[in-house]
Amino acid sequence: MTNHWNDLANSDCIFIVGANPAENHPISFKHVSAALNKGAKLIVADPRFTRSASQADMYVRLRPGSDIALFNCLSNYVIQNNLFHKDYVIHYTNASFLVKPGFSFQDGLFSGFDPAKKAYDFSTWDYELDAKGEPVTDPTLQHPHCVFQLLKQEFSRYTPELAESVTGVPKEQILALAQLYSATGQPGKAGTIMYAMGATQHSTGVQIIRSYSILQLLLGNMGVPGGGINALRGESNVQGSTDMALLFHVVPGYMAIPNAANHPTLKDYLEKETPKASFWTNKPKFFISLLKAWWLDAATPENNFAYDYLPKIGKGYEGGGYSWLPMMQAMYTGGIKGLIAWGMNPAVGSSNLNHTYAALANLEWLAAFDLWETETSIFWKRPGANPKEIKTEVFLFPAVDALEKEGSISNSGRWIQWRYQAVKAHGDAKSDLWYVNRLAQELKKLYKEDPKAVCPQPIVNLNWNYGDDPDVHLVAKEINGFTVADRKQVPNFLALKDDGSTACGCWIYSGFYPGPDKKDNKAAARDKKDPSGLGLYPGWAFAWPVNRRIIYNRCSVDANGQPWNPAKTLVRWDAAANKWIRNDVPDFKWIDPATKTEVPPEGSVKAAYLMLPEGRARLFVPKGATREGPYPVHYEALECPFINPVYPKQQSNPVVKIWKSKLDQYAQICDPLYPYIATTFRVTEHWQTGALTRNLPWQAQLFPEMFVEISPKLAKDKGIKAGDWVKVSSARGSVLARAQVTNRVGAFRCGQPGMETTVEMVALPWHFGFAGLVTGGPDKKQNYATNQLTPAVGDANTMIPEYKVFLVNLEKA
Amino acid sequence: MSKGMLIDTTRCIGCRACQTACKSWNNLPGIQTSFSDSWSNPRYLSAADFTRIIFREQNKPDGTVGWYFIKRQCMHCNDPACVSACPVGALQKLASGPVVYDDSKCIGCRYCMMACPFQIPKFQWDSAVPYIRKCTFCADRQAVGLEPACSATCPTGALLFGDRDKLIAEAWNRIRQSPQRYHKEVYGDKIAGGTAKLYLTALGFEALGLNHRGFRTDLGDTPQGVYGREWMGKVPLVALGVGSLTLGLYALNRRRAQVALAEAEAKQPGKEV
Repeated sequence: MTNHWNDLANSDCIFIVGANPAENHPISFKHVSAALNKGAKLIVADPRFTRSASQADMYVRLRPGSDIALFNCLSNYVIQNNLFHKDYVIHYTNASFLVKPGFSFQDGLFSGFDPAKKAYDFSTWDYELDAKGEPVTDPTLQHPHCVFQLLKQEFSRYTPELAESVTGVPKEQILALAQLYSATGQPGKAGTIMYAMGATQHSTGVQIIRSYSILQLLLGNMGVPGGGINALRGESNVQGSTDMALLFHVVPGYMAIPNAANHPTLKDYLEKETPKASFWTNKPKFFISLLKAWWLDAATPENNFAYDYLPKIGKGYEGGGYSWLPMMQAMYTGGIKGLIAWGMNPAVGSSNLNHTYAALANLEWLAAFDLWETETSIFWKRPGANPKEIKTEVFLFPAVDALEKEGSISNSGRWIQWRYQAVKAHGDAKSDLWYVNRLAQELKKLYKEDPKAVCPQPIVNLNWNYGDDPDVHLVAKEINGFTVADRKQVPNFLALKDDGSTACGCWIYSGFYPGPDKKDNKAAARDKKDPSGLGLYPGWAFAWPVNRRIIYNRCSVDANGQPWNPAKTLVRWDAAANKWIRNDVPDFKWIDPATKTEVPPEGSVKAAYLMLPEGRARLFVPKGATREGPYPVHYEALECPFINPVYPKQQSNPVVKIWKSKLDQYAQICDPLYPYIATTFRVTEHWQTGALTRNLPWQAQLFPEMFVEISPKLAKDKGIKAGDWVKVSSARGSVLARAQVTNRVGAFRCGQPGMETTVEMVALPWHFGFAGLVTGGPDKKQNYATNQLTPAVGDANTMIPEYKVFLVNLEKA
Repeated sequence: MSKGMLIDTTRCIGCRACQTACKSWNNLPGIQTSFSDSWSNPRYLSAADFTRIIFREQNKPDGTVGWYFIKRQCMHCNDPACVSACPVGALQKLASGPVVYDDSKCIGCRYCMMACPFQIPKFQWDSAVPYIRKCTFCADRQAVGLEPACSATCPTGALLFGDRDKLIAEAWNRIRQSPQRYHKEVYGDKIAGGTAKLYLTALGFEALGLNHRGFRTDLGDTPQGVYGREWMGKVPLVALGVGSLTLGLYALNRRRAQVALAEAEAKQPGKEV
């Protein structure tokens, strides 16, 4: 989240899209309700009428995967009707920047596309530079090749009429929606967007989020209280896990993982990864401090701080690295021998499960760390499998529950919050930290003792001293960082150095544990004071970075440092006193570290987005940082019953990777064998793959069985009654489910103008499987996992699978 | 000061945290259920479930889809029929609000079950030594200054615990401030002589189709205890003995009917009482 949970209460209009927080983040509705009780409006756009929708002032029934068409249409409305926040757009976005003359967009493709490689040459996707190498701008926004005019021109295609034929939302409602939400473009008003996996789990996921961001920037809603673009993370600590780099493409603190081809040496890495401007010019300090945290005394200037010890992307799957889908492909083809599934249940959660099962069966070993047997640890005896044919050796390690261990959780609002052990561990169960500590200790011993060990140094020299019964506070202190010479905790990341004199496990968290004692642990701080009255609670826990609660907060004030909304002041320049009033930690250069004098607003107006070299938010993303284009355009999902109404010549994302194994089958466009759109969802009562909640009787009784939501019309056509068992099939597999007949789902009428057709949509929860107290059906003879249906096609940037749109057939079982 | 709870169903998101919190605080077992087409589950209140959310999918007055979540539990009447019908004083209305039950006094006659106009008291049919069970308004928590488990866990403030008269004022205040949002009635303010649980709804219970499902609208304002006292006054104690015998037969028949109902349910889900 750019903002945080409590801040939702400051909003004038809350737009929930691609998310269902009433069900999946119910606590968030404490703050949503607070806003509504103060008179805010709530918009919910979702293919299903959800429990969130039940609270909405306006519910928009949007065809899954059509978000870009809707949001480009909203942006178009804002531009055409002059409703954008002009000062904001000119000062804080790259709207005025000129784009290279060679840049173009035609027939659904940007300039530079290579059809053979299915990739773009990004050289034209860049700013026009002047003689000094600075971007050329036109603050009047009139130049035909400035970002604003390029967007205006392309988005003008997205009329309410065209948007209706893509999204299925009546144009009258689109206009009413546009009117309602664009009211937040007035200076002083704030609209927020809450999104989650309904937005990301598409082959165009990144561009969907981009389309939301562009609207927010046009309306001046970023960096202000009650605004922002707010990702609701799918689990309590997903934020923490991505911050700590449980991702394939970064090291902790969102720095790129080195790539063998681009970054053979530390010098290459630092040169190529450190921009010439922006706060990221400090990257060498953060990166070298990270290497020091990992290898401490073995990381020296002479050995480039042990840079060579670091694994590099290159031999990874086809050079792209091991994100989820390539990892499954590599397991399937035998390239990966063993898998540690740590609190993870891929036998329910992975897309295209029949492929996943084949991949798991090709492993030599699988180690599962969990509370009890999950589908993953018994995948070899799942319904329909022959255990004799599966040679994978499976180990199940008993892990403790969250209440049985001490540590931290980072919520979606970037607050790292300490949690204490509430009860003793059950049986022989151990914490994840205990296991990883034992594993590291054992590996170090094995590498040390084996004279034939290959490349032992990275393991043998690893700085790993947390005790035999590991102390989680030692880990926390290492994450905060310290000076190497005297082992003193650093106050924050501004103290980090690139000469090897400091170590820091994750620079963005630096400052949360600035002293040696437990009382210095700010994650455990519980001060309930809220001096600003804006719900910032600066003394409660620690928000990264540097306890900043709302990032980009330079944009909450005008060029002269005066708040757009004085009643909701995050920061304000007091010209008389020559200083900043600071209710939140400023996210801009407000003080000169050398002179300790405060910097007037003109010193930061050109770098309100200080993590970007151009200092402005990107309506246009240069240089291919988003691979399918610098701005979002509508492409259909890979499996789709309609020809793309916007760009008939370019049906789907041109740069997605399509896997070709015999288990990777796809429906054709408008496939008569799979005539219905399907989408997936979660319910409050179950958590993720259900491994936890399907084993808790209180939760299990609320949703004991697998079901599929179908409209009364479809039920009638198919002779299906409420509660009947039905078989839902895709090109990849099938699943049994009981029919829930409901008006909360229905058909969409979409297609190229004049050629619209009506297609029903069904929706399935993905919590069920074949292990545990309840599996989803009356017995354990069936696998009730929805992901037997979903395709393993990923977003072109993130590789997140397209769980949210695919084609199915449905018959009474 | 008598306590009450304002249940503003327009603020309810149907998350059912109250259902689970209730089971947790009262240490009630999970029960085996099957798919419910409405999502309400379990489909009845029972000795294992003192509260549940009824999901009502129904078009709004403007014709668009609507979805309403109505929490159900003991109403904790000001003058409860169950208390007046109990021949041995096992049920009591506390001055602080809750209607509570004393296991040690109960003779198992189940007059309370028949007397309650809201069909709340439930019998432990599966137990060898059965008792009556129902929502206690967390009288044990209230006794030590805690609010009930359900309202303590409610994320949106749909369940508001407090002094009953203040809650009634708050409820009418909300209706006045947002007349489009609410049906113009505080259910529980006057009905059946008044109840501790007070409801605000978007539509009336008749429009919601729940007036025969625990939210009767035909009770008038007469305190329900009146009927029980009148009736019980005419029953000599000796009749109670005979009554117990006949009730034994009734129990047998009731159990048979329940089994038959459960079997029918398995074939035809989605029906609720």
